Amino acid sequence: MDSFFYLVMFAGAVAGASTGLLGVYIVGMRMPFIGICISHSAMAGTIYSILLGVNPVLGPVVFSALSSMSLGVVRPGRSRINANVALAIFFNLMLGLTFLGIGLMHGSRSEVLGLLWGSLLFVRKSSVVIIAISGLVFVVFAALFNKELKVLLFSRTIASATGVHESFVYCLFLALCGLVLAVNLPLVGGLMIFSLITCPAAAAYQICTGHRSVIFAATIFGMGSAVAGFLVSYYLDLPTGACIVIVSAIIFAVSASYRALRRKRN
Amino acid sequence: MMGECLSLSDVEVRWSGRTILAVEDMQIRQGEFVGIIGTNGAGKTTLLKVCCGLIRPNRGIVKLDEHDLSELSAWRKANLRKHIGYIPQAAEYNAELPFTLRELVAMGRTSVKALLRRLNKEDYEVVDNWIERLGLSERRSQTFRSLSGGEQQKALIARAMAQDPEILMLDEPCSNLDFNWKYQITEIIEQLHRETKVTVVMVSHETSLLPSGCKRAVLLHEGNILADGDIEEVLESEVLERAYQCRIEMLTLAGRRYTVNKS
Repeated sequence: MDSFFYLVMFAGAVAGASTGLLGVYIVGMRMPFIGICISHSAMAGTIYSILLGVNPVLGPVVFSALSSMSLGVVRPGRSRINANVALAIFFNLMLGLTFLGIGLMHGSRSEVLGLLWGSLLFVRKSSVVIIAISGLVFVVFAALFNKELKVLLFSRTIASATGVHESFVYCLFLALCGLVLAVNLPLVGGLMIFSLITCPAAAAYQICTGHRSVIFAATIFGMGSAVAGFLVSYYLDLPTGACIVIVSAIIFAVSASYRALRRKRN
Repeated sequence: MMGECLSLSDVEVRWSGRTILAVEDMQIRQGEFVGIIGTNGAGKTTLLKVCCGLIRPNRGIVKLDEHDLSELSAWRKANLRKHIGYIPQAAEYNAELPFTLRELVAMGRTSVKALLRRLNKEDYEVVDNWIERLGLSERRSQTFRSLSGGEQQKALIARAMAQDPEILMLDEPCSNLDFNWKYQITEIIEQLHRETKVTVVMVSHETSLLPSGCKRAVLLHEGNILADGDIEEVLESEVLERAYQCRIEMLTLAGRRYTVNKS
C-alpha cells in the first residue's frame, strides 16, 4: 500500500472517532437529524464563502456554528415546536440556500458537489490536523461538562427544572457540533457524516452498560467503520464513502442482533 | 409559622389563544405536602411546570424562595432551581439509554456542584446512601433500562433526593405502575417527607395515591383552582362532583381516600 493511503486511513480514523463521539450526544438526545442539518449548513457556508471570495474554512465553521446555536432556542416544555421538526425545517432552508448558491456559481461545480460524499482520497495533512484539533476541543468539552451532559442526555426537562445550567451547556454543545461537522465536511461529506454520527453511537447504545463504555465503544466503532470501510474499498476497488457507510451499518446490525440474543438468553 | 417557598399570584398561561391555567393566588409553605388533583387537561402538569419555571406564564408572578422568576437571568434562575427535585412523567426522560442506576442517581449531584467541578467521594457517599435507603443496593450496577417500572421510579426518587432538595415536585409518579408498586412509591414519598421535612408537591390522577401525610389538596378544573385547602374538605363528594361531572362517593380505607363513580 502506498504511504499516502496511511494518511487517508489516519484521516478517516480521526474523522470517524470524532464523529462517533459526537454521535453519543446527538443520538442520545434523540436528534440524529442534526448531523445532516448542520452539515448542510456547512455546505451552504462553503458555497457562499466561494461565491463571496472569503476563507473557505472559516465560512462553513461560522455558518454551521451559528445555525446549530440557533437551534438552542427550541426548549423542552416551552417551545411549541418539536426539536426534530425544527431541524427538518432548518434542513430544508439550508438545502434551498445550498442549491441557490450552486445555481449562482459560474464554472466547475465538482468541488462543491464533492461535499456531498466527501473526498477522503484527496486528503491533505493540514485537513487532518484541523480535524484532529476540532476533535480534541470536543473531547475537552465532553470531559469538562461530563456531569451536565449526562443529565441533558437523560432529560433536558429535568436538567432545566433542577438548576443544571442546561441552556449554557446545550448551546456550547451545539456550537461545537457545528465546528466538528464543518471541519469534517470536506473530507467525509454531508451524506456520509450522517451515517458516521448515527451508526457507531446507536451500536454502542445497544450493547454497553454505563456512559463511559458508550463513549469508548462509539469512538472505536466510528474509527473502525472508517478504517475498515477504507480497506474494503481499497482491496475490492469500490467507492470509499459507500463502503464506510455500509460497514458502519453492519456494526450497528451486529450490535443490535447481539443485544436481542442476550435479551432472549436472559 | 413556616415561610413560603413558592407563591403564584394572578398567573395565566395561554396556549393557542386559550387559557389553560389561571391561578389567582396560591402559596406553598416550607414542609407542606400538597396534592394536586383534577380531571384530564385540568392543568395539573402545567401548574407544576409553572412552579418550577419550566413554563413562563403569559401573565402574573411566580416567586420561588421569594425571588420573582420573571426578573431573574437564566443563570440566576438555574442557581435558584438547584433546590428543586423534579420527577417528570416518563415521556420526558430517555429511559432507553444504558446509564447504570448509580450513574442516574449521581445525576442528582450535578446541580449541587458548580460547573467544571467533578463529583467527589463525598458526593458518591450521598449517592450510595440514597441507593441503600431506597433498597436498590443490589441493582446499583444494573442499567436503568433493565429495571422494572417501580424500581425505575424508586431510582428517580433517589436521584431527586441525592440533590438534597428543599422542594420535591412529582408529576404522576405512580402512572403505569401496578397497585402494589403504587402503594410502595407513595409510602416512600410520605416517609421521605416525614423524615427530611422536604416540601412535596405531587400531581396525581387518583385521590387514593395521596398518602395520609398529604394534608392539603388543590383541585383543578379547566385550568382554574376549584378548591384549595385541607384535604378532608377538598376531597368531599360534592366538591369533586363539580369537577368530574358525575356522582361520586368517597371511601376511606387505611387512611387513603378512594373515589367511586356512582353514576
